[in-house]
Amino acid sequence: MVYILGIESSCDDTAAAITGDTKILANIIANQEVHKNFGGVVPEWASRAHQQNIIPVVETAIRQANINKNEITAIAFTRGPGLLGSLLVGTSFAKAFALGLGIPLIEVDHMQAHVLAHFIQKGPNTKKLPSFPFLCLTVSGGHSQIVLVKDYFEMEVIGRTIDDAAGEAFDKAAKIMGLPYPGGPVIDQLAKEGNHLAYTFAVPNIKDLDYSFSGLKTSFLYFLRDQLKLDSSFIEKNKADLSASIQHAIVTSLIKKVKFAAKQTGIREIAVSGGVSANSYLQKKLTEAGTEENWNVYIPEFSFTTDNAGMIAVAGYFKYCKGEFAKQDAVPYSRSH
Amino acid sequence: MSVVIEKRCSSLSELDAIASELLEQCKDKRLFALFGPMGAGKTTFTQAICRQLGVIDQVSSPTFAIINEYRTAGGDAVYHFDFYRIKIIEEAMDIGYEQYFFSGSYCFIEWPEKIEELLPEGCVNVHIEETINENERIIRYSLNPE
Repeated sequence: MVYILGIESSCDDTAAAITGDTKILANIIANQEVHKNFGGVVPEWASRAHQQNIIPVVETAIRQANINKNEITAIAFTRGPGLLGSLLVGTSFAKAFALGLGIPLIEVDHMQAHVLAHFIQKGPNTKKLPSFPFLCLTVSGGHSQIVLVKDYFEMEVIGRTIDDAAGEAFDKAAKIMGLPYPGGPVIDQLAKEGNHLAYTFAVPNIKDLDYSFSGLKTSFLYFLRDQLKLDSSFIEKNKADLSASIQHAIVTSLIKKVKFAAKQTGIREIAVSGGVSANSYLQKKLTEAGTEENWNVYIPEFSFTTDNAGMIAVAGYFKYCKGEFAKQDAVPYSRSH
Repeated sequence: MSVVIEKRCSSLSELDAIASELLEQCKDKRLFALFGPMGAGKTTFTQAICRQLGVIDQVSSPTFAIINEYRTAGGDAVYHFDFYRIKIIEEAMDIGYEQYFFSGSYCFIEWPEKIEELLPEGCVNVHIEETINENERIIRYSLNPE
């Protein structure tokens, strides 16, 4: 069994995971619970928070995986893209730990890992996996892209947002309505009670397979501003319908381009990843589109959709199999390449 | 005495000329703070400026990432910040904002209100204001002789 320790610290969350081959043994994100065992509270944010989180999450992951640290075969870490200060913490820790244990180091690209999260096995190896080539819609707070996945590490971004990400559109729509952050899950819940055809919010038609959500945010903002002038409790009265309608606009736009991409490439293996893939309406609409278009649709388990280290560990496993290792002088990168 | 430049932009097609003029007027400046409410067009204006600078990467909203880094055709770095999600000033310090602000590379900063006390002298404050006309904006900045 190949045991990989995965480390993720590219943005807000510090995470560590252990895989045994492709099977997940522990998938830990720093939270209050992890810190309780270390007698502290979870710090606010950013690189200093990662410094405080890194040891507790790794310790917790190793303990939960029920292995000894000397059994770890290799350490995989997120090298980028992300915030440099945050990435440095995970990178430095991974290097030091690998050096100390005398085991190989593996660098992982965060965006590739989001796609490879589909290959994480939870129970016995019975889960149906996407077969190459497949299309992956990666949608999160910071990204909206359609990736053509030819092999584990052969990926091409064939569509991307030209302004706001889909997750950002959800969060900002929620903010406009005065709902709490992160707004995506709140809108998802409220929308279940609402009519998605109550209001029409147009999503601009952008060329090719690209996305644009900035205009949608602005038209939502102006619509509410005008309505509030006529009725100051407009949002309060209609938040379910508003949530359902804005969600419908975002999801419709996401699926439309996936359909285009599928037609263009002739690929019928369709996967979705990233935090927004947890949205129940997106899952429903994607599944429906799959039935219509005769696709095989792959939706990962929630804990592997948001930023997590399980996906880093599994990506590390595939690199380990290829014998692709990082050197001790590897430095983080902030932008995708 | 500072000279205030005010531009009325009534369609997206006018934005590139305004961006070009801003860069021309502020030739020796590298830091630009973009003030304006949500939906005013801070990211859109940054896109227009980056087009003028010859940025080859997709310029998109850094709200989630906090910092986006782009490259120009000539290989220069351009940094695009968004402090919308910042809650306390220490978070910006943790990011190591000085490394970017004093790098000599162009920096465009959205939601600078959140870190106003960290904005260095010589930073150009650009205000984008909405008008009653939905597609119209007033873009205002001042030139301070130093």
